[in-house]
Amino acid sequence: MIEDLLILLKHDLTGTVRIRNVKGKRSEQRSAWRRYSRYFAAIAVAIVILLGILFMSDLLGWEFFQAVLIDNIEFGSTIFNFIIIMSFMGSIAISVTTVGNSSRMEYLMTMPITLKTLFLEKTIVIIFYNAMLYLVIGTPIIIGFALASGSSIALFSIPIFIIMLLANVTLGVSLGGLIGLAIARFLAGRRRLKQVGWFLGTTVAILFSTFYYFSLFTSEDGFGQIFSVIFDFARMLGLSSDFSPGGAMNAVSLRLIVGLPIHMTDILLAILFLIIPAFFIYANAHFSEAAHYSGWLASGSKRSSKEDIRIAHTTWNPSTLPLIKMSTTTSVSMWYNTASVRREGRVLANYLVGPLRMVLFLFLFLLTPGGDIAGFAPFIIISAMIPFAVSYGVYFAGYELVYEGKNLMNLQLAPASLSDYVKGKVFSAVPFTLIAITIASVLVIIVEPTLWIYIPAVMISSIFLTLASGGIASYSAATGGDFKAERNISRQRGSAVQMPIRSMWSMARAFLLPNILGFAGLGSMLAVGIFIGPIYTYLAVPLFALICIQIMRYYTGKTGRKLQTIEATEYM
Amino acid sequence: MIEAIALTRKFSEFIAVDRLSFQVRPGEIYGLLGPNGSGKTTTMRMLLGLLKPTMGTARINGFDVLENTVEAKRFIGFVPEEAVLPDRLTGWEYINYVGDIWRVPRGSERDEEIDELLTLLDIKDASDDLIETYSKGMARKIGIVAALIHTPKVLILDEVQAGIDPRGAATIKEILIGLRDRGTTILMSTHVLEIAERMCDRIGIIDKGKMIAEGTMAELRLKAKGQQSLEDIFLDLTGGPDMQRIAAFLGEDS
Ligand SMILES: Nc1ncnc2c1ncn2[C@@H]1O[C@H](COP(=O)(O)OP(=O)(O)OP(=O)(O)O)[C@@H](O)[C@H]1O
Ligand SMILES: [Mg+2]
Repeated sequence: MIEDLLILLKHDLTGTVRIRNVKGKRSEQRSAWRRYSRYFAAIAVAIVILLGILFMSDLLGWEFFQAVLIDNIEFGSTIFNFIIIMSFMGSIAISVTTVGNSSRMEYLMTMPITLKTLFLEKTIVIIFYNAMLYLVIGTPIIIGFALASGSSIALFSIPIFIIMLLANVTLGVSLGGLIGLAIARFLAGRRRLKQVGWFLGTTVAILFSTFYYFSLFTSEDGFGQIFSVIFDFARMLGLSSDFSPGGAMNAVSLRLIVGLPIHMTDILLAILFLIIPAFFIYANAHFSEAAHYSGWLASGSKRSSKEDIRIAHTTWNPSTLPLIKMSTTTSVSMWYNTASVRREGRVLANYLVGPLRMVLFLFLFLLTPGGDIAGFAPFIIISAMIPFAVSYGVYFAGYELVYEGKNLMNLQLAPASLSDYVKGKVFSAVPFTLIAITIASVLVIIVEPTLWIYIPAVMISSIFLTLASGGIASYSAATGGDFKAERNISRQRGSAVQMPIRSMWSMARAFLLPNILGFAGLGSMLAVGIFIGPIYTYLAVPLFALICIQIMRYYTGKTGRKLQTIEATEYM
Repeated sequence: MIEAIALTRKFSEFIAVDRLSFQVRPGEIYGLLGPNGSGKTTTMRMLLGLLKPTMGTARINGFDVLENTVEAKRFIGFVPEEAVLPDRLTGWEYINYVGDIWRVPRGSERDEEIDELLTLLDIKDASDDLIETYSKGMARKIGIVAALIHTPKVLILDEVQAGIDPRGAATIKEILIGLRDRGTTILMSTHVLEIAERMCDRIGIIDKGKMIAEGTMAELRLKAKGQQSLEDIFLDLTGGPDMQRIAAFLGEDS
């Protein structure tokens, strides 16, 4: 099994981390710069961090660093736990996606290896992707501190850090995968429950893990009541950290560097947190295999229901609604986009709940310092609507455009305006923004009833923000999208490891530009309202809406023209 | 030796394969024929352990494919109907991938064998290109080389000649006949009845998941009341084109 695993890994990675060009005449010869740049960038980042730390400790003296680190030693646990939670949240649909798309791996499945080995290998690749960033940033920090401390024992913390980091990412990813499989198992055969079930399951998993994290973060008091049993237990065992994988990692790596004592129980806990991930990743492979054979992951479109339901082939046409003028292409595209996202419950859940991760962490870091910014809480909730409005635009217009894949050919051949088609995708995000914002608005009113006056303004602006974001994202998709994404396990819908938009620059534009627009726009509108008078906020709304509409029209127009010129080889 | 025993597969309420039983013996080419959607691919997927039968058993050289999946698969070379291969590898790399998994000893002998097969199928010059640059037929040829490289005792071929140029198709035919004579068990599906007639020792015709006729060409002729060609037999058993509707359709247009 191990030998099979290694062969699979070796050949899988050959394709993804290819450094030399292939010899064939047909294949694109990439310049040395393009082949090496990622590795150079990673090495450069690592070296800069390392040298920076060494330079600073030279300047300020290691004793200073040591004192600061010892004073804030618990912060290490927080960061390590953050890494686990991030890996976990991004991986909830991972195994289900891999198993559900196994028909694309037919050539692998006919090989004389167990499917368990195969799924194990895919999970390892995903762990590798998840851990890359943390390794590139974290390892030089640890090396820097270990060298600066001048103690030879501290050097042990380097391999310990790497092993524990990999173990912790494994823990997050496989736990996420297992929970996704559990949700899928529970929902198997329940067609009607699918969407709601995935939505609730994902949300509960994310909220629960955030609360756990939050209670670690604020340690003893307040929120952590639910988990206080665990903390008491940890203290009873005589742990110097809390009972968390990040805490265990911290206890055997950072504490080693600064020369704090390490108890036997810490070491035992660290070993335990090496064994648990191994167990989980194996369980994940085992249940993926079971899921494949039992067939409860067969995607919705291939299962027919017991009763004979006559499918009426009507498309919803919003252009009959008053005030909305829309071409048929746009309304068809809007209907199609919504239907195709909704079809797969886990994709919908991933899209809808996705921004929640970002927002929760925004909250955590803003709210934890204590009650002193409590007065800002409603504003923070209001600002949390921005990532939702922006992300929905990016997902529904950006990602979904990329996932059109081969269908682009039909679009290019169809006698319809591609810009109109893209607009339909953008519009399809609006109902979802509306729902998310309504929920957030209720929260704001509960927390701070006096803010009700701004709610309509915020809601309207968010909707227009979604339009702008969708427009920008569609252009990013057209210019930087990997239109073969659906064929790549780690880029597929809902997989969240590699984004379907490949180019870094396009990705940055898709997320940064609309977020800046949103925070600057909504921020100044609220500021004007609070300092001068709410009426001015409402005067600013039309202006903001107009700007957003113009942005959307500008970008969807460009997207349409760009899509028309995309060559068949990019998506076939 | 391939054994299908009362293989059945339901997709929800739809019965795609219905109690299908047949055997393919070593040194025999068995042709699975049938209209689109009659269950040929589904049957092959069950024989490979890719799909779990709703009922029935599949055995490869005595190994139950569900209970001894790995052992059973070790014997099989499979060419799927629609080759989905790893886009980011070159043809040469993919074939070696397969060679490694089947533990074909690395070395000059293996390289020469791969070279020989690539040359035979006229894709030697493309083998260092990424699979994503291949045409459909080229990718299929790479799939064929990969299926043959580990000298399988059992070959399962789903419409292997579809989309292959005449020279390639003739080469494949000769190779398969040669392998059969050396004792390989071969199961193939095809829509080209001429190929089936010329290559297959025995033929099974399935329709709507059920076996409706099975035997050698001579046996089939007997069964179809004196029809001579396989095409006539096939159309006789599964129904020919509806000339009246065709005429009506063409009439509408003009
Ligand atoms: N995953 C699936 N879910 C639901 N139905 C399926 C699935 N796979 C196949 N079927 C159905 O099973 C039947 C048999 O399909 P199969 O692919 O085996 O046909 P085939 O004989 O290979 O046809 P062709 O000659 O077109 O290749 C078809 O009616 C098909 O719709
Ligand atoms: Mg078929």
